[in-house]
Amino acid sequence: MTLQDSHISLAHGNGGRFMRELIDEVFARHLASDTLDTTADAVRLSLPGEEILFTTDGFTVQPLEFPGGSIGSLAVHGTTNDLAVAGADPLYLSLNAFIEEGFDVAQLERIVADLGRAASEIGVSVAAGDTKVLPRGQGGGIYLATTGIGVLRHPTPLGMKQIRDGDAILVSGPIGDHGISVMLAREQFGLRGDIISDAASVLDITRAMREVPGIRFMRDPTRGGLVSVAHEIARATGLTVALDEPTIPVRPAVRTVCDMLGYDPYYLACEGRVVAVVDPGSAQDALSAMRRQSGGELAEVIGCVRQQSGEACVSLKTEVGGLRFLQELEDDPLPRIC
Amino acid sequence: MSLGAAELLERIRALDLPEKVRIMNVCGGHERSITQAGLRNALPPAIELIPGPGCPVCVCPEEDVYQAIQLAMNEDLTLATFGDMLRVPVNVRKTEVRSLEQAKAAGADVVPVASPQEVVALARANPDRRVVFFAAGFETTTAPVAAMMAQGVPDNLLLLLSGRLTWPAVSMLLNSGEVGFDALIAPGHVGTVMGPEEWEFVVEEHNVPAAIAGFDSDSLLAAIYSVLRQLQSGKPALDNCYTRVVQPGGNPTARRFLSQVMEVTDATWRGIGTIPASGFSLRDVYAAHDARKLLPDYGDAARRRVGEMPAGCDCAQVVLGRIYPDQCRIFGAACTPRTPVGPCMVSDEGACRIWWSSGKRTRVEQAAE
Repeated sequence: MTLQDSHISLAHGNGGRFMRELIDEVFARHLASDTLDTTADAVRLSLPGEEILFTTDGFTVQPLEFPGGSIGSLAVHGTTNDLAVAGADPLYLSLNAFIEEGFDVAQLERIVADLGRAASEIGVSVAAGDTKVLPRGQGGGIYLATTGIGVLRHPTPLGMKQIRDGDAILVSGPIGDHGISVMLAREQFGLRGDIISDAASVLDITRAMREVPGIRFMRDPTRGGLVSVAHEIARATGLTVALDEPTIPVRPAVRTVCDMLGYDPYYLACEGRVVAVVDPGSAQDALSAMRRQSGGELAEVIGCVRQQSGEACVSLKTEVGGLRFLQELEDDPLPRIC
Repeated sequence: MSLGAAELLERIRALDLPEKVRIMNVCGGHERSITQAGLRNALPPAIELIPGPGCPVCVCPEEDVYQAIQLAMNEDLTLATFGDMLRVPVNVRKTEVRSLEQAKAAGADVVPVASPQEVVALARANPDRRVVFFAAGFETTTAPVAAMMAQGVPDNLLLLLSGRLTWPAVSMLLNSGEVGFDALIAPGHVGTVMGPEEWEFVVEEHNVPAAIAGFDSDSLLAAIYSVLRQLQSGKPALDNCYTRVVQPGGNPTARRFLSQVMEVTDATWRGIGTIPASGFSLRDVYAAHDARKLLPDYGDAARRRVGEMPAGCDCAQVVLGRIYPDQCRIFGAACTPRTPVGPCMVSDEGACRIWWSSGKRTRVEQAAE
């Protein structure tokens, strides 16, 4: 049974019958699991293992649906990927939905169905949730927030503290697809294209990487892209991150859009990639492990971490053998005027 | 058969070069590509690549930016402009509104746009409100503005035009007596619009080697290799290293729109002064859309440092290629992208911004003259 109303009204947030119908007929229907009980105030969870990992994330993407995903799938992948790169298996999510008055119920159905599908694909349950309806004009259609619980599966801690001079850096696939896909979907610059977002779960890749003995650190390069992860590493370790431009995978279509608009692909967001730092002796094993996974076929070793005199920085050896420094992202890049 | 970057670098390295060769580019896109590809440190040290007058935002007259700010602050209208123009500072007291961005923050209706089509759509969507399009740019940006006007715009759309031609600035440098460069990389996109012929004067009148380049390393290195060989042979001849896009005669449609809608006039360049026949103004038939004719003029010749670069800022020297960005007195110290003093630190086309963003963070002592 689906919701009778075609658009969300303030009554869907009033705590009464309309709200119950919204929760039962949209959210509970798509997100049903053994743990989800919409009548309970709180849920009991039993967690295997010793240590849990806990994280939260908010989602405000525009447009709400884009080639390769939607705010619904993003709300699952964004939070569970944070758990995955920290060495955990994600188990449970909570979901908050802030819906704007007048929102199309058919679109809400698609988004929640997307969310449910993304969660079940990686074996995660939405165990708790809440909906609120905001007056028209006070929200971008819908905002989502998810909090995730996972169980640590990697025996030793992964983290930037483990990174050593000489370690290798890998990326699990082409960068910038998500940033450009969303930008094209906005049709802001009159450009159209068929670049599909990389938004996906990275769980299979991180599970494979956990088996690589020399793994030190993983992160998913979301906002701020590859350069922001590289700067976090440089700042935390005092080591220079030296990247090798010809090895960094960037799809030609992404490169073309970047050239046209003056963007730099190294700063663009990904939503389904992993940057990993490994012991140099394990680099080839790690690369093979990534490439065996779906979504990791185009993985590459893209540089290394090394002690260098002077301030730690992020350097890029360019295609022609020149050297360039990649600075921390400052403000959103503006389109060029000539 | 075009050569790849690696092969071109080999050939350049194999040349018997003089002690110093100074090659100027006059396009922010070129400077960006050169810096981002790390070409300077891949080339032999004898080759100096100098950024010249290639940033339309940087040379846009200070008084025009001031006028745009005053219109936005004092008149009941929407001011649309390219995003790069928003943060360009004018020379007023710190307590006054110094940029369009500050005007916007103070409540003025300032809208950043990326194309003339957006401005037309904005004017159509708000038929009862005047929309002033403050359009600064070189030929490449001005041609689409001309096309927009020629194809017809809503009555409520007015144009505050600050279009400039590229070649007159190079001509002025070549005639200035202190040329400062031995060869020129001519701008590929300008060549696409106006045709390569515009640049023949460089070799014919001044005997300076020149080549038109595109924006990837292969094309830029091909142009560098070409001018080096022209220098060696002593017989300069304008070389087109961007034949894929730059055709003889340029883009006839774009040029027709430009001449139909605009006329070429003497124009001021910020920090540089007036360059003859270097700017575009709207023809009289478009007077009904000319913001300069229809709206109050807030120009005030008595204003402090009107038309100049801000105090302490060496942008004028940078734009003319007389010093490198990191030789400016305030580069990387008082002037950074977060707190830009001069326009070259504002625009993505500005040499200071490009250098700073690629890792040059501190100024170097200027070599003794």
